[in-house]
Amino acid sequence: MRTRILGFGALATVALAAMFGLFVVPADLNQGDAQRIMYVHVASAWIAYLSFIVTALAGIGWLVRRDLRFDAVALAGAEIGVIFTALAIWGGMMWARPVWGTFWQWEDPRLTTTALLLALYIGYLLLRRLSDDPRRRATRAAVVGLVAAVDIPIVHFSVIWWRGLHQAPTFGSPDRLLHPAAPMQFVAALLLMLLAVTLAWLYLMIRRYQLARLETLLEEAARLGRLRSARASVARTAPVDITAAVDAAAPQPSRSTSSAEEPAR
Amino acid sequence: MTALAAEARIAWAIARKDAVSELRGRSAASMTLFFAALVLLLFGFALGPDTRKLAEAAPGLLWLAIVFAGLLAVGRLHLLETDDGALEQLALYPIDRRAIYVGKALAGFVTMLVLGAVMLPVVGIMYGVELARAWPALSVTVVLGALGFSAVGTFYAGLTVRVRAREVMLPLLLLPVTAPLLLAAVKASAAALSGDPFGELGSWLQLLAGFDLVMLLVAGASYGFLLEE
Amino acid sequence: MRDVAFVIAGYGVILGGLAIYALILGRRLRNARREASSVAEVPAERDAEQPSAPSPSRGAE
Repeated sequence: MRTRILGFGALATVALAAMFGLFVVPADLNQGDAQRIMYVHVASAWIAYLSFIVTALAGIGWLVRRDLRFDAVALAGAEIGVIFTALAIWGGMMWARPVWGTFWQWEDPRLTTTALLLALYIGYLLLRRLSDDPRRRATRAAVVGLVAAVDIPIVHFSVIWWRGLHQAPTFGSPDRLLHPAAPMQFVAALLLMLLAVTLAWLYLMIRRYQLARLETLLEEAARLGRLRSARASVARTAPVDITAAVDAAAPQPSRSTSSAEEPAR
Repeated sequence: MTALAAEARIAWAIARKDAVSELRGRSAASMTLFFAALVLLLFGFALGPDTRKLAEAAPGLLWLAIVFAGLLAVGRLHLLETDDGALEQLALYPIDRRAIYVGKALAGFVTMLVLGAVMLPVVGIMYGVELARAWPALSVTVVLGALGFSAVGTFYAGLTVRVRAREVMLPLLLLPVTAPLLLAAVKASAAALSGDPFGELGSWLQLLAGFDLVMLLVAGASYGFLLEE
Repeated sequence: MRDVAFVIAGYGVILGGLAIYALILGRRLRNARREASSVAEVPAERDAEQPSAPSPSRGAE
């Protein structure tokens, strides 16, 4: 219920922030109306980075505590991060075309880094799909998320040098957005949009987490079901001790019941 | 100190075992080299007969060929272990997991070095690039690049070796991570070949070294978790 | 004035994309909840549906 309220709150804030950025704030003198895209673009990009940091931290949490709930958080962060990254790239392209004259600017460190980010975490999600055992999947995903997160600053750094060592940037830089000389309204529009997108992110994270927990539950139920039927067929044909062996091979029931009792928030 | 020495001995033993088995099955090692040369040849076809254009693109093409061939090489080093469940047995020994990683990475490093040493003259001949003046800087670049690629490559090869569709997953996961390495290595090679007019060679080599260090630490620490599965 | 098209495309796709993702997520969640409740109620019947050997998927890994 509380999550639903959060969802409606996020929806309202996003609508408000979009209205503010689109109609209330005056157009930028240099960039014209295209500047308005910056609000939603920058906000999604920041949220994308936040998601991947959450994924990396949740991965560490899994490696240390071995609690599958951490893995659910990691999955939620990666999937939502990929969505926000893709949307941020789209927004960046829509902004770059009218302002820079090209959709893609190789020497812009943000754009290039973000594109690599997308590739890194799509790989992360694909890897998750290829593992059937939830614990093994969690470990693999955790280490990949960790290495990917470490790679991000190096990528960013290298692309900055790529540009910096060759020529000074000749284009209008998005940094100007938060320049202290900027009128407060621009800053307000960005902050409002950031708040709105953060609320939406929180809502999506909670929902994706719940879905991830349910998916693990169903997965485990299916596997237990398979094991139980196998045990039944073995019991029909073989002495009792083999049944005991299959019993021992089954995952500990304590974990599955504890996750089953967890209330669906 | 003695623990560290023991670890180093184990790592060395693993690396030597891999090197020996690669050399005995001579075909595999030479196939990787042949593949890299083939890639260089195809780049030549793709970029047309203009030698000037090829010479300009040579650093990028060289490193792309090394990366593609390296992909096969690091994948193979782990595939050696899966044939008879040897990796599982290796993981069962009461030794530090980092030693296994270091051993594997060392074997990958040597393979990549050989690859680089063979590819450099091939590029020089095929693309008409003058290597004579630049070879000290180029060798440093190749050493650092080989180390970094083997550091991440070993980690991802160990990760994907037991995953379905590993032939696709290894490049899919490894290539984006190596992007800064590729960028820095290409830039350093280009600077070395052009006599470093802007004095940027040192910065790129530093970036390469930083990448190597960070990835060796993180991948080495993470690799152990993969063996517990 | 041409910029307006880009602004509309930018906002439309980003906010629309988020909305679509939220809707898809909601539907997946509802389906999963329904399935989970059916599993909790009649576990025995699920067993009967899958008389296969012990987890063939494991061997593929």
